[in-house]
Amino acid sequence: MNKLGTVIAFTYKNKVKTKAFLITTLIMAILICVGANVPYFIHLFTEGKGQNKAPASIGIVYADQSDIAENLQSYIEQRNAGKYHFVKVDKLDETTLNHDVSSGKLDGYIQFVKQEGSNFPNVMYTSKKGKIDSALETDLQTALQGIKTQHIVKQSLTDAQLAELNTPVQIATQGVDDQDKDGKAGSSEAVKIMNYVVVYALLLLFFISIISTGNMIASEVTTEKSSRIMEILITSVSPLNQMFGKIIGMFLVGISQIALYAVVAVINIMLPHNQHLLGNWHLNFSQIGLDVLIYGLIFYVLGYFLYAVLFAAIGSMVSRTEELGQAVLPITMLALVAFYIPTFSLSTPDTLLVKIASFVPFTSPTTMLVRVGLGEVSTWEIFVSLAILAVSILFFGWLSAKIYRTGVLMYGKRPTWKELRKAMKAYKI
Amino acid sequence: MERLQLNKVVKNFADKTAVNEISLKVGEGEIYGLLGANGAGKTTTMRMVLGLIYPDAGEILYNGKPYSKELRQTMGYLPEERGLYPKVKVSDQIIYLAQLRGMSAKDADKSLRYWLERFEVPEYYDKRIEELSKGNQQKMGFIAAVVHNPQILILDEAFSGLDPVNVELLKATVRELRDQGTSILFSTHRMEHVEELCRKITILHRSNTVLQGDIKEIKSRYPREEVLLLTDGEVSGLQQIAGVKGVDRLEEGYLIHISDVSAAQQILRTAMEQTTVQRFEVKEPTLNQIFIRTVGESNE
Repeated sequence: MNKLGTVIAFTYKNKVKTKAFLITTLIMAILICVGANVPYFIHLFTEGKGQNKAPASIGIVYADQSDIAENLQSYIEQRNAGKYHFVKVDKLDETTLNHDVSSGKLDGYIQFVKQEGSNFPNVMYTSKKGKIDSALETDLQTALQGIKTQHIVKQSLTDAQLAELNTPVQIATQGVDDQDKDGKAGSSEAVKIMNYVVVYALLLLFFISIISTGNMIASEVTTEKSSRIMEILITSVSPLNQMFGKIIGMFLVGISQIALYAVVAVINIMLPHNQHLLGNWHLNFSQIGLDVLIYGLIFYVLGYFLYAVLFAAIGSMVSRTEELGQAVLPITMLALVAFYIPTFSLSTPDTLLVKIASFVPFTSPTTMLVRVGLGEVSTWEIFVSLAILAVSILFFGWLSAKIYRTGVLMYGKRPTWKELRKAMKAYKI
Repeated sequence: MERLQLNKVVKNFADKTAVNEISLKVGEGEIYGLLGANGAGKTTTMRMVLGLIYPDAGEILYNGKPYSKELRQTMGYLPEERGLYPKVKVSDQIIYLAQLRGMSAKDADKSLRYWLERFEVPEYYDKRIEELSKGNQQKMGFIAAVVHNPQILILDEAFSGLDPVNVELLKATVRELRDQGTSILFSTHRMEHVEELCRKITILHRSNTVLQGDIKEIKSRYPREEVLLLTDGEVSGLQQIAGVKGVDRLEEGYLIHISDVSAAQQILRTAMEQTTVQRFEVKEPTLNQIFIRTVGESNE
């Protein structure tokens, strides 16, 4: 046990001290700082546009559709006051108007083109480049839709009926469990969004850290093997201690790195200006489901060990670091599957595929997380999945240790499974 | 009871035998030479002694007992190809390795400093292995093998790649360790090192033990077949002496191959009659010759 500690400490200390590691960590931390503030900057720019720039001035050609034009103007001015400045144009005089547009006096103008056989005219927006601002388009569309309804039904409906007609249909959701637990069905939508964010973040974290830490483990093992220090190591400490010392040491390296990133991210998010922004989006960290986080952590740790033992075993079979990339490919593919099944199922977390995958050891850490966070899952299912995962860690840990013990003494070309089995027999492992 | 004893140890890899019934004993304060060409089974034998791989038959006893995990602390190993982390500081890794062999960090540090002093390179303490020359890396590997004061030291081709000065330094150190009681199993394919260091040897050839025992005894078993004769002037008629197989002319004399030792005296008499003899020696066979002969014989 004492030796395990020595191996862990050595692995940790040496990894953390390497230049490459320090630099990547620093760059990632800076990227997180920037990334966390990007929404704020975007917000700053869009807001600046609304405040400092004069409202877009838009011409409305009244001509023979004066009632529609008038309705539109009053509707928009009422709803989006200050956003647009409307210029009433009595007659369609394209040369003057186009000149106004190209000189910048007008941002664009709207004209109504009467259509044969239709009650409502077509709407044409003319601007310098023939483009329409998406916000303006939405505003106009909403306004004109109402006006169209009004125009067509004319006097046959009361104002109240009209108003009701114009109200968009809202779909409210509620969860049975939420109500049972704390009766606050109303907040479930916000919780769900937050869970979605958390689940997605954890998936990404899982995938990235498995791949990066796994590769680090494999390449360290290969380096030890190719520099023959392995021969000294396994004559002084049991391969099991050595392998798990390395895996745990790397795990701690990864966790420290993630913790650092998390701290950087939280500090940035907690900055007043970002808090304000989050409030605007109705996101609040207190809404994170605690169960998602806890299960997420447990599955993360177990999943890490499952993949890590395999990476260590593969690393032990390769003699040169150049061959490593190819050798770890199968595990990388496995990790990709474990990442993509849940990622594509975020909106449909209860399909059969997800259910099956949530019990298969290599995909369960990620898929079960999705089910816990976004789908429906009963507690016994989680525990069965955890138990399967734990058993497979023991099995693959045992197998990997055997491969490791054999692999580290086999030099030359990468052994096939058959050769490996023969060697295990020969070495009496 | 010997420090290390191998009794008819056999190791098979898949379809071929790597080591066939090797037996040897290494006592306290003894350097034992394991000789053989590449692929003769030296490294496999050493790996079995280290407990890296297990014998298929026979037994290895350490102080009369079979292998156990506790033994790891009492063994030191210098692999053929160094075996240190290239990018880690000398002090970090040697202390780490010593700790793995059961030393406290403090004792390990003290011992490391002693050895760096001993090799007159205390400034390497803070250097990374990759910054050192090959010969110096070898020295660090040697320190890593002895830093925890092992009882059994296994040196696989310890002197390969070293310059003569460092070979002498390392030889002196090995002798010193021997005098302190360390049992050393030493493999090489350079015979001259063995003659200087070891009392007993085993020559392996294609997995088999072809020659074993005390070096002096082995040598005495082989007939003396060469006579070195250094003279002031020329000597004629050497070829005609009974028992002389051939004569090589040297810069200052002759090297005469004989088939019968009695011819040697006749050579000396013949030479003295003609000129002044500066040096006369009936040479005992070198290990190299014996090696080539035995290996050659078993080849046929």
